[in-house]
Amino acid sequence: MRPEIREYRYDWLMGSTLKAAAAVPSGSKKETEQTYRYIPNYQKVAKTFYSAGEPGVLALKLLATYFENILTAHDQGKPIAATTFCNSPVLLYAMDVVPATFEILTALGGVLWKRGMFDYMDFCCEIGMTETSCSSQRGAMGAVLSGLFESIDFVVCDTPGVCDTNANAFAFVSEYLNKPFFQLNYPSSIGDDRSQNYHVDDYKAMIRFIETQTGKKLDYARLAESLTEVDRQDALIADLEDMLLLKPMPLPPLFSLALYCGRFCFSGHPEYTRLLESLVRSARQRVADGVPGLKSGKENLRVFMSYIDHYTVDMNFYNYLEERGIALTGSILTRNFRDNNKYTADMPGSSYSIDLSSPEAMLNTVAQMNARLPMVRSIRGPYDRPGMWLEESLALAKITQADCVIYNGTPGCRNTWGMVKPFARDMERYGFPTHIMYDDAFDDRVESWSNTRERLDEFFHIRGLL
Amino acid sequence: MQVFHDAATQVQCPSIMDWKQSGRPVVGYTCSYTPGEIFHAADILPVRLRGIETDGMEVGDTYFGPFICSFPKCILQLAGKGKFSFLDGAIITPGCDGMRRLDECWRKAGEDFKGIVPDYFYYFDVPHKSEDHGMSWYLDEIKALIEGVERHFQVNITMDKISAAICEFNKGRRLLGEIEDLRAKDDVVVSGTDVFAATVAGTVMPREEYTEALTVWVAELKKRTTSLSRGKKRVLLIGSVSDEIDLFQLIEDTGKAIIVGENLCFGIRYEGCEIPETGDPLAALASHYLGSSACPRMFGKYKERLQLLKERITKSKAEGVIMQNIRFCDLHGAENALFERDLEAMGIPCLRVEREYGPHIDAGRMKLRIAAFLERI
Repeated sequence: MRPEIREYRYDWLMGSTLKAAAAVPSGSKKETEQTYRYIPNYQKVAKTFYSAGEPGVLALKLLATYFENILTAHDQGKPIAATTFCNSPVLLYAMDVVPATFEILTALGGVLWKRGMFDYMDFCCEIGMTETSCSSQRGAMGAVLSGLFESIDFVVCDTPGVCDTNANAFAFVSEYLNKPFFQLNYPSSIGDDRSQNYHVDDYKAMIRFIETQTGKKLDYARLAESLTEVDRQDALIADLEDMLLLKPMPLPPLFSLALYCGRFCFSGHPEYTRLLESLVRSARQRVADGVPGLKSGKENLRVFMSYIDHYTVDMNFYNYLEERGIALTGSILTRNFRDNNKYTADMPGSSYSIDLSSPEAMLNTVAQMNARLPMVRSIRGPYDRPGMWLEESLALAKITQADCVIYNGTPGCRNTWGMVKPFARDMERYGFPTHIMYDDAFDDRVESWSNTRERLDEFFHIRGLL
Repeated sequence: MQVFHDAATQVQCPSIMDWKQSGRPVVGYTCSYTPGEIFHAADILPVRLRGIETDGMEVGDTYFGPFICSFPKCILQLAGKGKFSFLDGAIITPGCDGMRRLDECWRKAGEDFKGIVPDYFYYFDVPHKSEDHGMSWYLDEIKALIEGVERHFQVNITMDKISAAICEFNKGRRLLGEIEDLRAKDDVVVSGTDVFAATVAGTVMPREEYTEALTVWVAELKKRTTSLSRGKKRVLLIGSVSDEIDLFQLIEDTGKAIIVGENLCFGIRYEGCEIPETGDPLAALASHYLGSSACPRMFGKYKERLQLLKERITKSKAEGVIMQNIRFCDLHGAENALFERDLEAMGIPCLRVEREYGPHIDAGRMKLRIAAFLERI
């Protein structure tokens, strides 16, 4: 790792940057304009968020709070758990544990910083982690392993049975730092009684593990409060999902990122509810005004991302969509499969509901919720529902009236790369032009953004889409 | 010995083809977590699926993406080319994500290449944890597998038959254990290549035939007096899945090393310890196959695996460890890094090397790395 990178801790640097960025719009317009002169490297990113209005500023505040929580956790006597975006933080928050979600921490560094997360990713390889492992963990993981992050207290992941590279990264962290490790394990089926019982047993074991680490018992009343908040949030998300169906679509591309990023960071927290309310208000206003979410005011194309977005430096992907007039109809990350979403009607058995009637019911709820988080559901693959990724992507592309489908991921994703070619072929058969991006959503060095953009343009041009 | 080499180096080896000609079914499986005893109990030949003898990757690359380990790709390649036409069934297990996706890719390939998907195509789930509910899940999976086999092949698999199968498999395990004892001596009389060929053969040969051949071979080994290890470095080979005899040959052909042990999922790792022959046979199978946690797919069990490795190093008197991982095999790749850290700290020289499975296109590079490592020991 370059010595200059070691000069500052990643969490402090990001937390300070986001805190300052979130405060800038509180001043006058002139003050904001003046500030741009002092932040040449962050100007584009800041403008992207500020131009989204209140939701953009709230998103920045929410992310700043996320880092603030990590930076102050130990002073407040709270442990920090390294975890993954496929594990809802609800249970951790209910147990006074601060989550450090690697993929989010990597993505934020990727989109916000000019240098991206490359140095941290490379640090993992320096100490022996494979370069072919997933970059989404390797960024934040490098900061943690190099000591440029608050010390984590234990590791909880729920990706064994879902994504090897993900689970493997967390197991590596645990062993490298000699920190306690717990894995929630996903068996092959989903939604049936047998797997449900397995999940509940697994969650009970996880709660025992966390109780041992924290010395505190889980307060189910507190969990009920958090789940009640999740219920409110799910209703707001369902409103946003409804609006994704409209043509022209009233949500700017950035809203998609804000929606899922907030959920992974603060599910069950009022901060996230405030962000969602703002997103809904803003989108409704656009509907009332009859204008699309795109700044250009013209929707040229609707794209469904069959996996994840592209978190390149300077928010390039989201700005590219704006420039080309492309509406983003969401991705796997956007969806939560709550039963109040219209799209679940086309997918019987896909949804979950919230039940607070007993501790067991609440654990069931958390298990069902997590079983529908990104990767755990659609792309999990040939279990009791072979072709689930294809079926669900098709249903979502159809219902959101997408003109085409784009796959974007990381080379570390064995799950999707193990299946994306037949997936794309079938998507084409069903009439959806499908483009496979051979880049890395978190690492521009695998394919430069300019190349990625060229390939996207080429696809849209050759297929007669733009 | 020739029978082992034939079995280890040919997908359609004489042992399998003879069995097939006798009219009895053959079922392929992809992972060491599949209990072969169940099939043996049903008079079905369990054959571990392998990717040797591939001479191209046009089928594998059509369905799998570019960032996938070449082992499942080679299996799919062979399936697409009809090399597994002798299979009456196939069991896919989530050994890792690449292998798990073999399920979908093979099915999809079956839409283009007619007849390559066996009639009995079964997904056998293996949890990633062996604690209470994990073990219970796996036990239920074994029961479901038995029911599925009984239904499809119209056979009756009784507990007595499974117990008998365990006894038969244990004979082979004991014999392999005896070979391990021979390899642990100062003067080693058998090459690692031959031992590995014999071990791999056990995953494809009919069990009685295998036990018989192994008994004869072990008796012959015990009479040998010529040391193959004098003046050579004793090394242990570990890491990603490998059934490639040529990888062993590559190391031993340097003339500077002898492989005195391995920790590979085709090797002695699983065959090394016996399964209890009394009590509930299904519980015994579950405990053996899931409980051993010897594979990095069982997350959070690194310390157990390190301990196992240390014991193997001590017993085999290995002077160095060669750790290989197939490109894109992050499970072994990352674990090798931890092993290297901990073993080097104990003064055990280690070589960590990434490679491709299948046609040894990078044999020259491997040879160079291995030669340099042997000089270091």
